[in-house]
Amino acid sequence: MASRIIGWIDQRFPLTHIVKHELTDYPTPRNLSYWWNFGFLAGFVLVLQIATGIFLAMYYKPDVNMAFDSVQHIMRDVNYGWLLRYIHSTGASAFFVVIYVHMARTLYYASYHKPRELMWWTGQVLMLMIMATAFMGYLLPWGQMSYWGAQVITNLFGVTPFMGDKIVMWLRGDFSVGDATLTRFFSLHYLIPFLIFAVVGIHLVALHTVKSSNPSGISLADKDNIPFHPYFTIKDLFGLGVYLIIFCTFVFFFPGTFIEAANNIPANPLMTPPHIEPEWYFLPFYAILRSIPDMLGGVVAMGLSVVIFAILPFADRTNIPGGARHRPVYRAVFFVFIADVFLLGYVGSQPPSGALVPIGQVATLIYFATFFLLPPTSKLEERWMRARGLSPQLMALFDQRPPREKMSHKGGAV
Amino acid sequence: MKRLIIFAFCWLACSAWGEAEVQLNKVEVATDLPTLARGAETVMTVCNGCHSLKYIHFRELAKLGVEKDKVDGWRGSNPMGTAIASQMPADAAAASFGKAPPDLSLMAKAREGEANYIYSYLLGYYTAPDGTTGNHYYPPTKMPDVLAVAGVTDPAQLAELNKKAREVTSFLVWAADPHAQERKSLGLYVLGYLLVFTTMMYFLKGRIWATLEKV
Ligand code: HEC
Repeated sequence: MASRIIGWIDQRFPLTHIVKHELTDYPTPRNLSYWWNFGFLAGFVLVLQIATGIFLAMYYKPDVNMAFDSVQHIMRDVNYGWLLRYIHSTGASAFFVVIYVHMARTLYYASYHKPRELMWWTGQVLMLMIMATAFMGYLLPWGQMSYWGAQVITNLFGVTPFMGDKIVMWLRGDFSVGDATLTRFFSLHYLIPFLIFAVVGIHLVALHTVKSSNPSGISLADKDNIPFHPYFTIKDLFGLGVYLIIFCTFVFFFPGTFIEAANNIPANPLMTPPHIEPEWYFLPFYAILRSIPDMLGGVVAMGLSVVIFAILPFADRTNIPGGARHRPVYRAVFFVFIADVFLLGYVGSQPPSGALVPIGQVATLIYFATFFLLPPTSKLEERWMRARGLSPQLMALFDQRPPREKMSHKGGAV
Repeated sequence: MKRLIIFAFCWLACSAWGEAEVQLNKVEVATDLPTLARGAETVMTVCNGCHSLKYIHFRELAKLGVEKDKVDGWRGSNPMGTAIASQMPADAAAASFGKAPPDLSLMAKAREGEANYIYSYLLGYYTAPDGTTGNHYYPPTKMPDVLAVAGVTDPAQLAELNKKAREVTSFLVWAADPHAQERKSLGLYVLGYLLVFTTMMYFLKGRIWATLEKV
């Protein structure tokens, strides 16, 4: 019976073909480490955010007079409303943890290289969309931090030459953050996740065309590729279990970690809270904003710091595969960069005074230097490595590496 | 707009400076019903004169175990489902204190230091040499010394005040998150389930991967 139904569908829709092509026959490098679990996790978090968000929206009221109270209604009176809300508020932070790790893995192995440039760029678009969604979602509880965070960040657009004030007003729908802002942020906060879902689809179509990269940095021979299912479905499920243990520890035992005390005070346009600090996931960029003494310069630098990752496929000019795995200089730069991002995050969380100001400026310099010095350093590094003689292991990799023009033969319709 | 940002930065600097100065007293928050009910009673008889608890209803006080006739006395002719308003209208309070007393139902989560802050603040009143009353934790506060803490030196009386402040604080912590106990006990089951699930997945993964030939 079941096979007849499937047969009926298969004559009209390539169901079996899709399952085979994308799952049971989909070739995946067997040497993927656990760092390759984070893409799946990001997808999981996205679905969880959308699911909890839809239920929250059934009770939430996007109106300046009702928003704060409606969140308390969810927390107190709605059945398991507290659970929905804490999953959603913790999930926002979890989302950034997961995608930042996912990005760091890509950086470490330089997986953005040909032929995966589009993976990297669609990923960039996803990151920007997630940031926009998180920023707008943060306004919805209509607490003090919500209000003043939105006020300060929308203000930044005022530095646009000639039409700054117009843009700020266009974003807010009013002279200052108010009811118009809240309703439009709610509308977009509900919309963008579905667009994210669509871009994830594109990200995955690209992935299934170029296939996964792997820690060795080369495309593997067929014998080293194994079917995604069951080997990686089970590995992803185990990773999901570990992730959920950590996530649920926060949801059930420390749910206040990601909710500022000041955000439990209803928004008050007449009272500036003592700290206006963005959420942790924006802190490094916020530190860069503050490190530039000039407002316009600061805003430009902050914007650049978010999108500059897109130049990596061009900026990294080496022919040596595998990223930090085989390249000592790149590896050192990678770890310095990660440490620098943490330092910037710390600087962003502190009041800008004393030694922290120059420290933030040096950290900003290092941040950008990493990208701008990459073209010459990656070239020099390769020359230096070749002069010293490549290890036999690396030579073997070079020999196996398919010639560039043949690289597309693995692709196919998805 | 630049000024707004600069203003925010100054605030940041000032508050960080201020924070470094005062050390909050730690309070052990109680979750047992008798303590919460006693805290509720103090809050309703002392604090409710000025403060509302708009997310809490009389019914919930009765559920905590506060005696029925006391609850009936406080609510008067209002139904049990009525949210607890302040006995003093907000503008009258604002007129007499210079500031409207904030709602207390979410207070335990609305200040840095949370429970410890409330506990320290309530007990933080002292009599200055010039005879005026001050507060160590919120020096410019407009709230009077409602528990009559300032100037008390008798140890027995002090112990009584500490107990009272702890009960009030515990009640406010409950009021800010009434589902906290339910959340934690459910959390234990969830984590237990996840541990079993994850362990099973771990061994299942080992078995599935064992079918691959070694390279
Ligand atoms: C006589 C009126 C009055 C009574 C009674 C009263 N309060 Fe207040 N309370 C105030 C006022 C006025 C403020 C605003 C103080 C300020 O911000 O300067 C306040 C503020 C507070 C705050 C917030 C302090 C802050 O950091 O902003 C807390 C907490 C508080 N009260 C707790 C209590 C508790 C608990 C009780 C009962 C034991 C109580 N109050 C009884 C008038 C009162």
